[in-house]
Amino acid sequence: MAEQKSISAFAERKVGADGFTIRYLESGPRSDGTEPLVCLHGAGGLRLSPMHEMLAKTHRVIAFETPGFGLSPANERSRDMAELAATLCAAVAALGIKSYNLMGTSFGGKLATHVALQEGEKLQSLTLLSPAVFRPAERPPMGNAEERRRVMHAHPERFPLAPANPDIDSKQETLVRRLIGPPRDAALEEKLSGLTVPTLVVFGTEDRLTPPDMAPFYRQHYGNAHLMLIYDAAHLVDLDRPEAVTEVVSDFLARKERFLVSEQSGVIHP
Amino acid sequence: MKAALFNPIRYGGPSPAGWPVAPHVYDLEIGQRSILSGLENLQLADELGFDWVTVAEHHYAGFSLTPNPMVLAGALTQLVKRAKIALLGPTVPILNPIRVAEEYAMLDNLTGGRVIAGLLRGTPNEYVTYNINPAESRDRFEEALALIRRAWTEPEPFGWQGRFYQYRSVAVWPRVVQSPYPALYMSGSSPESGAMAARNRIGLGLAFTTVPLASRAAKFYREEANKLGWQPGTDQVLYRMGFHIAESDEQAMTDMVESGAAKPHVGLTMANKAVLAGAMSAGYFGKAAEEQKERVAPRDATERIEQGQILLGSPETVWKQICRVRDEVGAGVLDLFPIVPIADRTRHSIELFGAKLLPRLHEN
Repeated sequence: MAEQKSISAFAERKVGADGFTIRYLESGPRSDGTEPLVCLHGAGGLRLSPMHEMLAKTHRVIAFETPGFGLSPANERSRDMAELAATLCAAVAALGIKSYNLMGTSFGGKLATHVALQEGEKLQSLTLLSPAVFRPAERPPMGNAEERRRVMHAHPERFPLAPANPDIDSKQETLVRRLIGPPRDAALEEKLSGLTVPTLVVFGTEDRLTPPDMAPFYRQHYGNAHLMLIYDAAHLVDLDRPEAVTEVVSDFLARKERFLVSEQSGVIHP
Repeated sequence: MKAALFNPIRYGGPSPAGWPVAPHVYDLEIGQRSILSGLENLQLADELGFDWVTVAEHHYAGFSLTPNPMVLAGALTQLVKRAKIALLGPTVPILNPIRVAEEYAMLDNLTGGRVIAGLLRGTPNEYVTYNINPAESRDRFEEALALIRRAWTEPEPFGWQGRFYQYRSVAVWPRVVQSPYPALYMSGSSPESGAMAARNRIGLGLAFTTVPLASRAAKFYREEANKLGWQPGTDQVLYRMGFHIAESDEQAMTDMVESGAAKPHVGLTMANKAVLAGAMSAGYFGKAAEEQKERVAPRDATERIEQGQILLGSPETVWKQICRVRDEVGAGVLDLFPIVPIADRTRHSIELFGAKLLPRLHEN
């Protein structure tokens, strides 16, 4: 229900870029001086969570639907992740955005990393939620709805994922399999150390799809990565514990690396 | 079986009942002597061949002069050369878990990997100590356990967004010596705690309970573990009890009576009625609250022997009592604390245990 509510607070719009018509959802203030937050979804397609709604209180939030996902036509044009990333860079430019923060979830985390490599100084920060840049060799079983639910959620009772649409799922899965690349992507890894944009890498402690055991790779390869574990959350961290994710992401967007230093007052009474 | 000597470091002078006890009662000379004498007993246990020496955390009363067991364990690292040093343990939900992880790591380095890491919820009064809501105790505990494990094993600095704990960057130095980390224990007299120990695959400590209740709790823990596909090792069930050994049963009982230890003893849980009532209404004891209260009810010496709360008598008598605990609870570790607070008789009791019972215990 909360997910429905957050969707209703977002406006649906479209932008043409690189020959694609790209749907996006947008909410939040446009003129208070803070850079917008651009969000790239995971392999399951565009979805919003209470996190997006909460972040939209302080940031202009733009959640793109990557070409080939959701109701958009199958994407057979983008040859690799770098090309798909170039399309999304073009979409950002088409919206007139000169400087922004980027967030990518799971598959979108890898896509966002490619975007970051292309955008350079334009990017103020990079946030990766349960990213799929480095992955274990094997995936946990997700053959049926119950297995999928258990892999995705630690707390399905909070904000459960909407039921899957088999046709859309199949189309998305084909695209993801074609583009995502190997669990360890040597060509990409070589470029990562040059990525100096402040990067927040978030994992749920109960995530079995992109487990937190992968977290050290991000510290070791990205030029400026900070790891954050969300206790008692699985792959869909922003649905399992949206408040916990939002609090740290929000602080990171506002203060970048200075988020390490607490600004919370310890005063109980004056 | 293994034997541990637990010394809560009792204050040796007169101390009124109740909790908290006013600090002005504390006599500086007696207090300091009590701490030194406790250290000497633990050092003696090491020399006699006890497998572990144990310390614990309690606050604001003469029952125990170790509000921070890590400090006492630090002293022990320089005195105890062979035995493992068990901390059973820090009261995790009222502490900073990262500090607990760091202190354990220090102790593991100071001992070359001889630390046993108990993580406890403690008695309800401890929640007054640092003003923590006991209703959240179990959830705080389980999160802290996950965080401490992560802090010991994570190779890179990491942040933590918990329900109760929040850190922007954690990177514990020194690292723990034992791999992947020291053996973990938690107390598990209630079904909730037993289930938590089983799902976190850690050892179970049963303290200030009775043999019938402990048998049930240990059985439940093993069943829960089996359901989750693992079997606790023998050492993963620990039973804590008082002990006093003399040449004869009569002498042992005389020592008890003369020292005043034979009278029913009100423990920390029952020492303050308001605190107990607050903890009850907070749900501190879990669903089987009445049973948990019964567990810590005051009993006289005879009843305590019958219930398997203390070992008392000659070495031969005590051996039979030990066999009962082994057979009924299935405990692989006996965590024994002296109950007769008369220095030379306590020492003699520890020596008798070392000479007459430790060899038999180690054969079993």
